[in-house]
Amino acid sequence: MAFILVLAGCSSKDDKEASATSDGSTTEITLGFYSSGSADEKMNELIKKFEEQHPDIKVKTQNAPYQQFFQKLDTQIAGGNAPDVWLSDGVFVQKYAERGAAKDLTEWINNDLNKDDYYGLDFNKDSDGKYWAVPQGIQIGALFYNKDMFDKAGVDYPDDSWTWEDLKEAGAQLSIDSTGKTANDSGYNANSVKQYGLTFFNITEGWMPVLKSYGGGVLDEELRNSIVDSPENKEAVNYIVDGMQRGIFTDPSDLQAFQSPMAPFPSQTAAMRIGIYARALAANETGVNYDVTVLPKGPDGKRFSPVIANSWIISNSASDEKAKAAWEWIKYWVSEDEVQKEWAALGEAVPVKKSVANSDLFLDSGEKPDNKQAFLDSFDFAGTLDVNAVWSEWVKKFGDNIDRAFLGETSVDDSLEQADKDVQKVLDEFYNNQ
Amino acid sequence: MRLGKARERTHTKPFKLSNEGKWGILMISPYLIHFIVFILFTMFASLYFSFSHYDMLNAPQWVGLENYTKLVNDTVFWKALGNTVYFTVLFVPAQTILALILASALNQQLRGLKLYRMAHFIPVISSWTVVLYVADAIFNPRFGLANDLLLKLGMQPQQWLNDEHLVIPVLVVVAVWKGIGYMMVIFLAGLQNVPEDLYEAADIEGAGVLQKFRHVTIPLISGTTFLVLVLSTITTFQAFEQIYVMTGNSGDITAAGGPDNSSMVLMLYLFQQGFAFLKMGYASAIAWILFIMLFIITLIQVKLQNKWVHYEK
Repeated sequence: MAFILVLAGCSSKDDKEASATSDGSTTEITLGFYSSGSADEKMNELIKKFEEQHPDIKVKTQNAPYQQFFQKLDTQIAGGNAPDVWLSDGVFVQKYAERGAAKDLTEWINNDLNKDDYYGLDFNKDSDGKYWAVPQGIQIGALFYNKDMFDKAGVDYPDDSWTWEDLKEAGAQLSIDSTGKTANDSGYNANSVKQYGLTFFNITEGWMPVLKSYGGGVLDEELRNSIVDSPENKEAVNYIVDGMQRGIFTDPSDLQAFQSPMAPFPSQTAAMRIGIYARALAANETGVNYDVTVLPKGPDGKRFSPVIANSWIISNSASDEKAKAAWEWIKYWVSEDEVQKEWAALGEAVPVKKSVANSDLFLDSGEKPDNKQAFLDSFDFAGTLDVNAVWSEWVKKFGDNIDRAFLGETSVDDSLEQADKDVQKVLDEFYNNQ
Repeated sequence: MRLGKARERTHTKPFKLSNEGKWGILMISPYLIHFIVFILFTMFASLYFSFSHYDMLNAPQWVGLENYTKLVNDTVFWKALGNTVYFTVLFVPAQTILALILASALNQQLRGLKLYRMAHFIPVISSWTVVLYVADAIFNPRFGLANDLLLKLGMQPQQWLNDEHLVIPVLVVVAVWKGIGYMMVIFLAGLQNVPEDLYEAADIEGAGVLQKFRHVTIPLISGTTFLVLVLSTITTFQAFEQIYVMTGNSGDITAAGGPDNSSMVLMLYLFQQGFAFLKMGYASAIAWILFIMLFIITLIQVKLQNKWVHYEK
């Protein structure tokens, strides 16, 4: 209650300031965002407060569920009637930037934002140093573990000393088949696993963090060439395949059995998962007794935490006036403490503003997981998912190949060799045509 | 000389619509406008895109035949084409024959007939999402009935949708279940048009049930059968939603079509290339190949109908 009063006080003060500076004319901007249930209401509230603070700006919203939103957005951009500012999944920022649909925000960010105050600005920076978007909320990976399962198996909780090998060893003790044997017992049936050590899904919460902490990865620093066929990647993928074959990690066919591949951890079928921050929502909903810690180290002590910075993009075709108004919205979003706090309270993302993320409101919200500090600590070794203009396409090519190795249909060497060729072809097709 | 000829032509009566013709055009104009704006125009646009690089966010660039030559060397495209044909070859006969058998059975004077007919029609009007929940209850590798049954029979459980060789047959089984009610209703209409006196005549000749079916029913409903075959072929070539939902991960379009593209069909590939990877030019080329194939197949079906379809004069 006090919080709301403070907020009301704040905005009424700003009101006066804003109306004092405005010249009476209003600018209308269109703001697009993908919906996610309860967050919509909060978004509309924040937009309303923004309009109160900025009487010279009117905001028209456009929203739709995730898949439809992006399909519609692409056709809108094609038709020349894109929203002036929109919320993009972090992995799509470069898709828009490199195709000329996003406005270069470098100058505005340099002038108006103190970069040290925010998490994740650099995750939207391209290899030329240009900024294309400003984070709306940050997803960063950590290791989720089910405390009850660890207690029952008598295994120590994971901590920051763990390597991926430690994870597999603990995972073996936590994997149980339908007859009650663990993965360390002889006669363990890897085909009828009742409880997995680690659930493993796709790129962000699957192979990418492992590959990178083993010193490998998919693309080089310029994000123009494949580095898939490397000894580091082979070691990493061998580690994963071994875990799957021994029935400690879920393989792609195991995941098929769940209505959603996200389900094994919240439904308590897996003791651990690599999870981004938003996965806390589902785990909290089902009441899992869990906590998080930083992701394990690779063999040489290297760590990697995957980041997706969902971000605001200003349309490159917005008029100067509308772009400026849109920039006001972005500044309001990232720099206003109250906005950051209200959004953080939804528990969907790590706040962009460091002061809010490091406050009790985020760290000590009363919701699980207790060790939210692990997410913030992970920024020290965080990186993007080698995001570039053709991200979805090379992920598909890499995924198709690597899944064959995961399912034991082809050798690790062969699948990486083929993936290397396929990924390079996707990159060449796009960048050689530029 | 030429001028003279042109002038001469103006003397002939200019093409003029009769009053009736004008009304006719006026009456069909809603459809005509719809056709020109939403079908003809978009078709030509997509034909143009199929000869260009078009990422939707920037203007299309003309590249001539590049998209088509790329298709020739695209292994996934060939796989998708093969899967589409495989799906059709399994689906069309299975659905047609089963729908005919079902329709014949439900064309009898039975108690509670309407209930049976309705029961078969329910999957038709249900959305794919609902149908797929039912399908999952059967084919889920961990919790599904199919594997329970196999285990009870002492056989190995299967990975159904995750098995390269099983995925298309499983998709076909589900598609037949969903579509059979519709085809059954078409067959029922055909069966009810068979004149009763022909059966009576056959009875007098001493024909049995199977003989009547073979020599009276089948020839007389051949027109209906033809319609069912053409409709089923077209729907399978356009199969999309089912595969998108059943093989993808929570609606992720890039994940659908697996494992290892073994359930990738042309429509899905087209959608993926166009909307997920922004290769609208390439997707348009696939669309045109799909259109040409469907056109040829339907043409062949129409030509072949002279050989076996029997219309009452």
